[in-house]
Amino acid sequence: MTIPVFELLRPKTLAEASELLLKHGDDARLIAGGTTLVILMKQRTVYYPYLIDLQGISGLDHITADGEGLRIGAMATQRAVETSLLVRRSFPALADAFGKIGNVRVRTTATVGGNLAHADYRLDPPPVLLILGADLVLSSPKQTRTVPIKDFYRGLYETALEPGEILAEVRVPPAPEGSRTLYLKYSSLSANDWPCLGVAALLKGNAKRCDELRLGVGGLAEKPLLIEGLELARNETITDSLLDEIARLVDEQISPISDLRGSEWYKREMARVFVKRAICALAEEDPHL
Amino acid sequence: MKRELALTVNGRLAKLQVEDADTLLEVLRDQLNLWSVREGCGVGACGTCTVLMDGKPVSSCLVLARRAEGREIVTVEGLAASGKLDVIQETFIEERALQCGYCTPGFILSVKALLDENSTPTDDEVREYLSGNLCRCAGYGDIVRAVRVAQEKRRAGAT
Repeated sequence: MTIPVFELLRPKTLAEASELLLKHGDDARLIAGGTTLVILMKQRTVYYPYLIDLQGISGLDHITADGEGLRIGAMATQRAVETSLLVRRSFPALADAFGKIGNVRVRTTATVGGNLAHADYRLDPPPVLLILGADLVLSSPKQTRTVPIKDFYRGLYETALEPGEILAEVRVPPAPEGSRTLYLKYSSLSANDWPCLGVAALLKGNAKRCDELRLGVGGLAEKPLLIEGLELARNETITDSLLDEIARLVDEQISPISDLRGSEWYKREMARVFVKRAICALAEEDPHL
Repeated sequence: MKRELALTVNGRLAKLQVEDADTLLEVLRDQLNLWSVREGCGVGACGTCTVLMDGKPVSSCLVLARRAEGREIVTVEGLAASGKLDVIQETFIEERALQCGYCTPGFILSVKALLDENSTPTDDEVREYLSGNLCRCAGYGDIVRAVRVAQEKRRAGAT
């Protein structure tokens, strides 16, 4: 499979990349790891006469932590996050979500920023970043602004990125003390495939008393969703009826797209199953199902 | 428009003329005649075009050739450059871990990357690491066994 002719532009700074984006408008697209864009160009799903290469810009692939949490540069590879001790220690579910994308070759090439900015409805990391309350740093020559990830996704392949803006960094604040997180990817075709759905859960407390519950889901709407209204579980014992109530809440907020991985009906059924499974796994303090 | 590209493949620097749209796979096959690198799916899912880039496995069908400049590329041809097969290649033959052989170069390189990264992987780690390499002759059992045997041989000092 060949790629149609295009020109690869190689800026040295973020500002230069932004200028190129503004100059070429809809004729240009950023290329980070390229694993998705190259496929879409090969398949003639999209075409851009100019690709703006972020590879030559230094200082974008860091993974660091301090008192304010974790910082991941947009050009860090997915494999680097998956295998980072720093990430594995403080945010195991995040390392897990990045480690479940495609296969090891894809993750070695593909980047964090490329994944998040693609804004596909089935991405694995956003549900985890949603429950962790991550912020995305968007850079442009005019300003650098920080957008909570829940406001970043606007719709199917739509983000809050303005013309000329580039996703530069992901910031993850420390998780609530004593909380545990989990990401469940459900693949209905093959392990390396896009998920049918993904469920991320954060629980502070245990089966007897839930102090805080957060849920993020992928593959169940046009964009990754942070489930709202989970205050109802606060200070409650995790019983079957509470789980049913939570599952109903999730069902009200999702709007699954029927695709090759499952019909809308099937995804709603599986959402119920996997939401309950994630909460129970965390409540029993057994993150390994 | 063709541009000059200096690519380090199997320890040698090659000066080439490439289009921006050329993939690493196309350049390795069509310009350097490294036919162990094969196009299967063309979308990074099957693993037949696997090469090592700075020691890590990548799908050469998804890498733009120009973006591979300055990196060390290794194909299966580079493993046996001295004429002696790598211990992983030898073990694949001994354990009959191939049938038609189309997927074999990709598997060999993935196994090399795996064992270089983790000399004592668990069964799950082997299967997960190789899950992106497809063998349509269904030789997975033999392949996983070959990984185990190669792992032991490497531990005993074989290269």
